[in-house]
Amino acid sequence: MLAVQGLSVRYGPIQAVRELSLEVRPGEIVALIGANGAGKTSAVKAIAGLLPHGGSVTLSGKPLPRRAERALRAGLALVPEGRGILGQMTVAENLRMGGYARRDRASLPAAIEEQMRRFPILGERRDRLAGLLSGGEQQMLAIARALLSAPRLLVLDEPSLGLAPIMAARIFALVEELRAGGMAILLVEQKARQVLKIADRAYVLETGSLRASGTGAELAAQGLLSDAFMAAGAG
Amino acid sequence: MLLQQLVNGLTLGAVYTLVALGFSLVMGVLGILNLAVAELFMLGGYVGLTLMLDGQPLLVGLGAAALFTGLLGVVVERVAYQPLRNAPPIAPLLSTLGFSVIFQTVATNVWGSDPLLLPPELMDGRYQLGSISVGQAQLVVMATAVGMVAVLALVMRHTRFGYGLRAIAENRDVARLLGVPAPLVTSGAFALSGAMAGVAGVLIGLHYGALTPFVGVEVGLKAIAVMVVGGTTSIWGVLLAGPLLGVLEVMTVAFGGAAFRDMTVYGLMILTLLLRPQGLLGRAGGAQRV
Repeated sequence: MLAVQGLSVRYGPIQAVRELSLEVRPGEIVALIGANGAGKTSAVKAIAGLLPHGGSVTLSGKPLPRRAERALRAGLALVPEGRGILGQMTVAENLRMGGYARRDRASLPAAIEEQMRRFPILGERRDRLAGLLSGGEQQMLAIARALLSAPRLLVLDEPSLGLAPIMAARIFALVEELRAGGMAILLVEQKARQVLKIADRAYVLETGSLRASGTGAELAAQGLLSDAFMAAGAG
Repeated sequence: MLLQQLVNGLTLGAVYTLVALGFSLVMGVLGILNLAVAELFMLGGYVGLTLMLDGQPLLVGLGAAALFTGLLGVVVERVAYQPLRNAPPIAPLLSTLGFSVIFQTVATNVWGSDPLLLPPELMDGRYQLGSISVGQAQLVVMATAVGMVAVLALVMRHTRFGYGLRAIAENRDVARLLGVPAPLVTSGAFALSGAMAGVAGVLIGLHYGALTPFVGVEVGLKAIAVMVVGGTTSIWGVLLAGPLLGVLEVMTVAFGGAAFRDMTVYGLMILTLLLRPQGLLGRAGGAQRV
């Protein structure tokens, strides 16, 4: 489904991501893990078309457009780090924005209702400014909004960041539920141990380069999931 | 006397409001002050009034002004902003200043530097409402301004373009991730901003019964004061501050003398910056957008 080959991202003289290659297959949760500054967010922003990059990115065999608004229409939705909630719009308006790029606009109201059934708290707070929601509610809104574009690949950047453990567990459970529905998911996380409980495979980034890849057990066997490694090196 | 001045002030405030909304739309989306808005206001006035003097009805004058200055707004965006969007913010500010000088020079060459005087019979009706006398031009100015604000509110709240504009104003990257074509919507913001200013230019001509190529500087600066007092990117703030400054100006002239007119308006602007820099309805930290 998603195939990334030799992805490179630069900020002036600084190389944030170096020759990264990864793959996400249909119905798979793939984790991209690494420490702060490892280049995870730069990598997914580049894949989603928010940053200029070198290398190739394809979705279902076709080159993914290098502009975010077109990448979305091609089937990739990114929930950015920090959730990207439009805080001065209401919950309902944020959800409506989720369907901005839908081809079939007539079905949007029904799709919004479906997301409100999936996340009843959003239905209860539909007229509230999104900026007034709790962190967990905002994350639900961000995911619901992304789903309204009917993506084939969902990219989540640090969805558990700043959330209480119980809320983070709910978000991870939701991600598993989406996979069960056939969606492909690329999950960027710093909490490697937690995310590897649900991920089929993972890639470990270290200072912009791919350090290793494999299943959770394979990475653990290489000692790449130790707290010290995750905090200081790559993880 | 007081009520009469209130009506006069609200009329002037209606014009300030429209021009300030022109500034505020671009400020909200891009965070830059498009100084060319002031001269689009002046050019819109000349285009609309020239057509009206030629016998065209008011609606044709207003529509032509909006179309002309809306298109010019897009030209300003493509030439003065797009190529400089990654440059320091002072660069597009100066390039829009360059455009405003060019527009003023063009107007001076086309229409001359003497005031364009409107014959009184163009809009000379007067209506007596108790002790208040309201001119036909005043009614047209206020009705048009209210209509434009209502249309703007509808566009912002109920159209795809409005949703995209509000999303970009709040977070450009997130808006793009949601599929908003940012360059197209940004051009639309410049067009809408130019069109509002152009319509306001026709209205100020009707209000004063005359127009000069230098009216853009005077009214443009007042509109910037309105924007600052209301909250630089808050539409509601502008809707409050526009009439407020219009009334303040007219009351100052009526009860204090013309010499103090600008002093009170800009004094209020400075006071706002000192005591409440985010403006009356703006949010601290500058997060408030369109």
